Amino acid sequence: MEPNTSTAKAIGSLAKKQSDLSRQGPSKLKFVPTLPQRRKKEDEPAPAAASTPSDRGRGRGRGRGEGRGRGRGRGAPPVQMTASGPFAMGPAMAGSSTARRAAPRSNFVPVPTDAAAAAAGALSHSAPPALRKDISALKAGGSIKIEEEEEELYSDPDEGVEIVDMENVRQMDWMAPESLRKERQSKRTPKIKEEVENGEDAVIDAVDEKNALNLSDSEEEEELEDIIEDFAIQNTIATDGEVTHEDRLYFFQFPSPFPKFAYKNDSPVASSSNAMDVDPTAAGVPKKVSFAPDAKADVATAVSGSRTPSTVPSEVEPAQPLDGVIGQLEVYRSGAVKIRLANGILLDVAAATQPSFLQQAVVLDTQTKQLNVLGEVNKQFVVSPNVDALLSALEEEDSKPAELPLADGLIRME
Amino acid sequence: MNLDDNDELVSVLPIHYSDTLFPNVHIHQFPLLTRPLQAPPSAVLSGKRITARYKAEARRLEIHVPVDTRPEVYNAEKSKTLGAGRAEDDREKNQEKPFRDGEDPRLSQVRLRSEQIPQRGAQVLGIVRDGKLHLHPISETHQFRPTLTHLDVLSRKNRRTRGGGSDSDSDDGPPPDPDEVAPAAAPPKEKKFPTDLREVHVTARKTDDQNGPGQGGLSAVRRDMLHIIRAEEDEKWQDLEFSDPTDQSSTVFESIFSQSNELLECSTNISTFIKSIKGL
Repeated sequence: MEPNTSTAKAIGSLAKKQSDLSRQGPSKLKFVPTLPQRRKKEDEPAPAAASTPSDRGRGRGRGRGEGRGRGRGRGAPPVQMTASGPFAMGPAMAGSSTARRAAPRSNFVPVPTDAAAAAAGALSHSAPPALRKDISALKAGGSIKIEEEEEELYSDPDEGVEIVDMENVRQMDWMAPESLRKERQSKRTPKIKEEVENGEDAVIDAVDEKNALNLSDSEEEEELEDIIEDFAIQNTIATDGEVTHEDRLYFFQFPSPFPKFAYKNDSPVASSSNAMDVDPTAAGVPKKVSFAPDAKADVATAVSGSRTPSTVPSEVEPAQPLDGVIGQLEVYRSGAVKIRLANGILLDVAAATQPSFLQQAVVLDTQTKQLNVLGEVNKQFVVSPNVDALLSALEEEDSKPAELPLADGLIRME
Repeated sequence: MNLDDNDELVSVLPIHYSDTLFPNVHIHQFPLLTRPLQAPPSAVLSGKRITARYKAEARRLEIHVPVDTRPEVYNAEKSKTLGAGRAEDDREKNQEKPFRDGEDPRLSQVRLRSEQIPQRGAQVLGIVRDGKLHLHPISETHQFRPTLTHLDVLSRKNRRTRGGGSDSDSDDGPPPDPDEVAPAAAPPKEKKFPTDLREVHVTARKTDDQNGPGQGGLSAVRRDMLHIIRAEEDEKWQDLEFSDPTDQSSTVFESIFSQSNELLECSTNISTFIKSIKGL
């Protein structure tokens, strides 16, 4: 950041650290090096940063005004700080109010835009970017308000000492470490209530209310509600014609042999997208259809490849990539979500344990040597066979073998 | 969950399945990242970008993220020693990159190295768009963690400068070993003759090592492992163009969606799940 002579840099960085320490560790007293701050100003590419050194109230109060603020409890009672010593003049401190950028709500937390980059000097007061799912959790409702209430009050700070709430360490720098989160339980209930208030859609609204009532009962209920939210809201967004990059990525873990699919051999009739009507017929006449062998094979390798990572799945290039409708996802009022595929395959969808870390879906193209990040995985689901359907299918099969020999016998007689 | 039959269907989304990008869709996990993978704004400002490279045979990926070099959060002095360590480490592994400007090597990037992890179940990526759920199989899962191998080089150096006796030892053992030895050597130090005692320890260590790899202790498994490691080190890195969802990868993003409305046939049924469980 400081392209100066190496000797000056050594001093500069030392002095810098000193001030840094005092900002984070409340106990340290202020050493007053004005020089390094000046130097920084020269490097500052952003005019905005230099222009607002008078913006003293830079403390906690910033950011709340902007509607989009992620506002992790910034600012409710702004700890009024009279800037003293280096704090008064550091350009890095200035303009922080303008520089506080909330991560946009598009699917992808974008790489900082030019504006943000220009304000790089002000980074020391912007929070690090959050994961997509955290943002969406915040977006979902009132956690902002709650955290505001929880903002703790401190007595007036002594001169040269800044009081830092451990909870807010995250707010201090773009590189700041994550602070441990408070118990989520307290957040959750009001969050859902808020959602109901917001009421995006009549249907969802009804669902939410119902779940909100049940909320106290079980955790499971709550998660189901979340699933619905994911699929139902998506639906409404799509129908609104708001097709931006709002596509969320979901991660599904299906039971191990993923059902094999293939094109119908007869003329590919473009069927209606509503698979419901066609499903029964497809299930009824499975015998007359033969399957493209290679299509089957590559599904098989996909499965085996997933089990043993050492095998190289890329060996098999699918001759004809599969593409089509395989079934439907059903959202029930009770909160259950099911996947219904052909041949009576009924699967339950449940929210999986959500990882706390970053998970990206990528496309690695070794031909063009490109690694394309599709986006952050928003949510994980576990798809498991519906036990009722499974049992009845097994029962059916048990009864079948009795018939089959008969049929064989008939054929022989002929 | 008992679901009564009068449970109402709220909405139905057709599920589209496509495997057009079949072996190429992967999941990358970053267990140590609780923030999005992006270059810090200050680095972006100076024109640095995230880069990636891979070894096809070893199925190893590396993502290089530029570090935030603002003096508030970056120790330039330290970065030189660390950078030198990394340069040497690179040299050892034949992956040296020519340093431009001939200036001091600095630790200017975090390298995240992948480890392929086995997948459970059939993993599928889903995206809801236009009221349809699009599915695409996920072929591989990788976990990325920062590589800190340059620290091995540095600690080896440190040992060499501190005690000559341990020199040969650290060369024999695998890199992490010096770290393990150090604490063991420390307690006897408090007795009368620290250096002597230390040397005894070193010899003990040595025989230990010889017992391991020397006398048939080098099992086939271990030899295989070493072979794999060596093969991986010998393989050349191939650079990849890393692109964020914000830029042109959107074309790729579109291609993940299923295009046709054709109904696919299914050749299996629900009992396959249970039949395929081994031992049932």
